[in-house]
Amino acid sequence: MKDVGYFAPSEIGETLKLLADYGAQATVLAGGTDLVPKINCYELKPENLLYIGRLGLDYIKEKDGKLVLGAATSTAQIAANELVQKKATALAQAAYRSGGAATKTIATVGGNVANASPGADLACALLAMDAEIALASVRGTRSVAIKDFFTGRGETVRRPDELLLEIHIPIPKGKTVFWKLGRRKAKTLSVANTSVHLLMDGKKCVEARIALGAMAPTLLRCTQAEALIKGQTLDITAAEECAARAVADSAPIDDQRASAWYRKKAGQALVVCALAQAADINN
Amino acid sequence: MKHVLSFTLNGAPVDALVQATDTLLDVLREKIGLTGTKRGCDTGNCGACTVLIDNEPVNACLTIALTVTGKTVTTVEGLVEGSELHPLQKAFHEHGASQCGFCTSGMLMAAKALLDKHPQPSRSAIVEFMSGNLCRCGTYLEVIEAIQAVAGGK
Amino acid sequence: MTEYVGQSMPRYNGIGQVTGTARYVDDIQFPGMLYVKVLRSPVHKGTIRNLDLSAVAKTTGVAGVLTADDIPGQNAYGFYGDSQVFNPKQPRFKGEPIAAVVAVDEDTAMEALAKAKLDIEEQTPVFDMFEALKPNAPLVRPGTANNLFEYAPGKTTFVIKLGDIEKGFQEADHVIEGTYKEGMQDHCPMEPHVSVARIDDADRLEIYTHSQCLNVHLGFLCPVFNLPQSKINYIGGRCGGGFGGKNDIHCDHIAGLAALKFRKPVKFRFTRKEDLAYSTKRGPWVFEYKTGFKSDGRIVASHIREFHDSGAYTGLSPYCIEKCGMFASGPYAVPNILVEAQVIYTNKPVSSSMRGFAVLNGQVAMETQMSRIAEQLGLDPWELRFINAWRDGDMGASRYVVQGAGAIEAMRKCAELAGIQLPAKLMEMNSRRR
Repeated sequence: MKDVGYFAPSEIGETLKLLADYGAQATVLAGGTDLVPKINCYELKPENLLYIGRLGLDYIKEKDGKLVLGAATSTAQIAANELVQKKATALAQAAYRSGGAATKTIATVGGNVANASPGADLACALLAMDAEIALASVRGTRSVAIKDFFTGRGETVRRPDELLLEIHIPIPKGKTVFWKLGRRKAKTLSVANTSVHLLMDGKKCVEARIALGAMAPTLLRCTQAEALIKGQTLDITAAEECAARAVADSAPIDDQRASAWYRKKAGQALVVCALAQAADINN
Repeated sequence: MKHVLSFTLNGAPVDALVQATDTLLDVLREKIGLTGTKRGCDTGNCGACTVLIDNEPVNACLTIALTVTGKTVTTVEGLVEGSELHPLQKAFHEHGASQCGFCTSGMLMAAKALLDKHPQPSRSAIVEFMSGNLCRCGTYLEVIEAIQAVAGGK
Repeated sequence: MTEYVGQSMPRYNGIGQVTGTARYVDDIQFPGMLYVKVLRSPVHKGTIRNLDLSAVAKTTGVAGVLTADDIPGQNAYGFYGDSQVFNPKQPRFKGEPIAAVVAVDEDTAMEALAKAKLDIEEQTPVFDMFEALKPNAPLVRPGTANNLFEYAPGKTTFVIKLGDIEKGFQEADHVIEGTYKEGMQDHCPMEPHVSVARIDDADRLEIYTHSQCLNVHLGFLCPVFNLPQSKINYIGGRCGGGFGGKNDIHCDHIAGLAALKFRKPVKFRFTRKEDLAYSTKRGPWVFEYKTGFKSDGRIVASHIREFHDSGAYTGLSPYCIEKCGMFASGPYAVPNILVEAQVIYTNKPVSSSMRGFAVLNGQVAMETQMSRIAEQLGLDPWELRFINAWRDGDMGASRYVVQGAGAIEAMRKCAELAGIQLPAKLMEMNSRRR
């Protein structure tokens, strides 16, 4: 049996060097909550594991009007962090609802994004916040808007020699909310999820960003739905129309968690709830 | 190539020879022989393998063993204080919070993590925190009662 | 003894459960233990043209392979004796064991299994019970005439009769019909299926099991191993949840064969995925209920047709269907009953026992009928049930005379716990007399 290599560097430079040398032969390990089940179930046999938990990438700070999250920041840290709760509320909510206590201890925000699950909770909130993904390699660093980051189920624009280093969140001007529906109340993957950012001027919607998850091979930014409400008075009827538009372009799948038919219904209802909450619409 | 894993287990230093893809659960159960931590799903869904790493609850089946290098791991075997059962162990036993017993170790460790941080959690906080630990016999109500009994007794 | 009655007692073996010292089967390890992984059918139905395991056997770390040829006794087990340890010819469901590999660890066994050369001709399976009943349906069991279980030669319908069903419907003021479909369900105990076997110092085959019925399973295993009971030390006692799923052998036979062949301690365990996908199930059901009742709410006729999907083998399905039939009219005094039931084979995992042995499945249908009857008559649903509930001396479907009836008292207690105030006349009723 071929042995699997293991690297746990303590410096970023060394990590990038390893990634440059091994490329796709190195599987990056952070919390492992998505990766390890695949190894345990014989679905994936990595050549080498590159553990990034010793790089000190677990931090949350505010810098130049942005929140900066280290890639290895745990979802438990994010859920409990006051800065995130106050300035990027939807992300704290998404982190809180992303799993059970034992999973949240080790699951990381970087992993949630890099794994590119179409139903990823934190990534959904980040999409509604127009976050930027900072990628580093020996060739330098680059920043990718999260809406351009995902290219398919489990696929991203990250190159094999790049490390997802940080996530930068322009602090939202308006209100952000996150809603999800799972098979049970807690410790559950999303059947559908949504995150909404709304900047309101009284009853008028000045700015809107809507993200929808588990409804297509990648997370969706619903730009056409956003256009429907931008500059308009947002009441419950408008919210319902907007939600219908949001799911119209989705292409969910049937799987063990839900049918495509159910996902469309659920996704639409979630968007209505999220819009109503973000815009303070009563009823 | 095998790797040497050194960490602190239930208060004592241990070394184990492991593969890169071995999980902490593999190492605890099959290399070290501490079988109190149970294997229920290998995918982080059931919570039967919950242990504490540096006092935080973790699914041992999701944890690559080598990542705990230098860390402190507590399992159900480390709960007993001298010859005395931990108050949670007593309460679980007395409240019938363990039927077939397969989920119990994980339940105890999750409960300990909760009470160490929040000595007097509300009922809903207990329910929420314990949501990652499944039981098929249906001891949930007794588990909540047992945790409440310990929290109330502190 | 009497001092314990009515008292809440701690489990006699509970200390082990809270300290982690309770020993479950997967906790048992012996030095030099080997591990089994099974080659499973990749198709729902097929004919094996050729199986070449030579590359598997030659893999470093592999002790050897196990096939049907390694079975010293019969390649058959189970309550109706039709399950196969390994199916070397015509697998009947996806995941059915074909052969096994025994290696130093599970990773090695999996790696070796990937080298198996299985040449299998895929055939059209049948998944739906009613499709399986059609004249030209694919046959699940080769060499049979249809997909029905035979209770006796030529007798494929199990019948229970009480009273005169035709007379019952003539007396009825109203009739309600309903079709009820129930899906497959897995027990999903926290402890996945596992077995440890070795040859002990008395040259007996020692098997550590989580069996829910040790004596019966020992009886199944003897003819497989071709050993008398005295040569098998079958050790149980701890079961990490079974719920009926451990009423069927899943691992003990294969672990035992490996220990016999390789003379080493052997562990065979299912992954959670294997457990969910291939273990025995509570099978799917379709019920057709026709219930006749008087305008005052009394049920006078109950005609029930049961269709039970048994999957690829018999499991405990005939027993489930009998028990279901006996109680399918609920805990109610129905004077005229006709139950007609069939066990139907499909190319799916085997249906067997699960919590309540199928009694519950019928109740879902009957209670829905009851609620519909109450609605049609404008009767309080509680009252309808109280009127019909068994009293001592009533006769059940299979002519048992009810003694110690308690449905009324139980319902009253439920109402009390739910904070429901029942009408005075219901509070006065009891199960002793009508």
